Amino acid sequence: MTRTITTRRAALAGLFTAALLASAAPLPAAADTDATWTPAASERLIKLPGNYLKKAIDNDFAKSGLAVALNDNRNLIGLKTQTLKDLQSAIEQADGDLRTELRHQFLAEKRAYLELTARQHDLRRRQAKTKIRVYERLLQKMGRRQAGMTPQKVALIAKQDEARQRFEGSLASVDTKLFRSTMTAESRYAREYAKNVTAIEALTRAIQEHPMNAQTEIDGMAVTKEDYLRQLIGENEAELALVQQEETVLGFMAKLVSLDALALSDDLAGGDADDDVARDGQDNPTAVTSAVDLFVTR
Amino acid sequence: MKTLKTALVAAALVTAAALPARAGTIENLERERAILLETLLAADMVPQDRNTKVAVSKGRLIDLERMVIRDKSLAGRNTPHVRAAFESYDLTFLVHAATEKNLTLLDHWLEEVGVSTQSLMNARVGRR
Repeated sequence: MTRTITTRRAALAGLFTAALLASAAPLPAAADTDATWTPAASERLIKLPGNYLKKAIDNDFAKSGLAVALNDNRNLIGLKTQTLKDLQSAIEQADGDLRTELRHQFLAEKRAYLELTARQHDLRRRQAKTKIRVYERLLQKMGRRQAGMTPQKVALIAKQDEARQRFEGSLASVDTKLFRSTMTAESRYAREYAKNVTAIEALTRAIQEHPMNAQTEIDGMAVTKEDYLRQLIGENEAELALVQQEETVLGFMAKLVSLDALALSDDLAGGDADDDVARDGQDNPTAVTSAVDLFVTR
Repeated sequence: MKTLKTALVAAALVTAAALPARAGTIENLERERAILLETLLAADMVPQDRNTKVAVSKGRLIDLERMVIRDKSLAGRNTPHVRAAFESYDLTFLVHAATEKNLTLLDHWLEEVGVSTQSLMNARVGRR
């Protein structure tokens, strides 16, 4: 009788292990048709100051299906991590068949966690790639706009600047000489212009002092919009590299799950199970490294 | 049929005439400057009339020159008109440049177009 039960348990464990092994190694991300984000590198974006540009893109992303999917998946990972912790503590206190059942459950939940994390990586990669594509298009457009400056046009702008400087430089003395005589009175245009200039100066000062109008900075140093865009591209490239590294962690976790499954099968066949070693949680419950402890223990 | 064609042509002409032909700041400045130079060079004008007309033109030119230099739509507009206008500051902004140099309008203009006392003294009467 005992032999029959042991054989049945071993067969069940074998089936379960086979299922886990089949699914644990490569974890394809779920096809998310709604999790999309298609921002456009419009002229409006190019005209925005650097920090507004980033905010506009972030706001656009926040409204996208990709952002919703990322948030939902992050919440699911948080819940899954909690489930794993609960199961781990339950295994410590259980024994006999219940312990075996809980260990099966623990392995199944680990597999589900890996699937969710793989999906999270896929979504994060999509987000970073889309951002890089938008920033690169913006950089290209800015380059094209500057390339549109022919030597003739550059010379004209230089002449215009020179004329404006000379004009502004001599304006005060010219005004004194022109309006000294009673023959030449100030025109309505001159009076209204002076009034408007005062108003414009007050508004410009207010804009310059506005906290939301701060110039784009990297490490406290003011930078051009092109530099800022390159910095944003670099940050997203770093995000992609991190996702790639985390995928390696995920691969190792998958390997451990399959080894755990083999060990469980072996234990059931042998009738003995090793004691689990419990460890306490991490700072960020959704970070893939916070779940490592759940995988290094059986 | 002929009547209809005539009517259509007439209607087109009336419509074209009714549309306002808006000149830019540079065109307005050039027109006013041409009138001023014509007044300055007019041989058949008594000095008093000339002074009155020049004073009126000068007043208008002061404003027009300021409008041109402050016209943001001209920045980088690479047309022959705009290029020519900024090629020579002293001729385009005639009133401001003359005042800046403490010269009368006519003296300044003659100097800019290359007519000086010296060149006139060196000139000879001859047959072309």
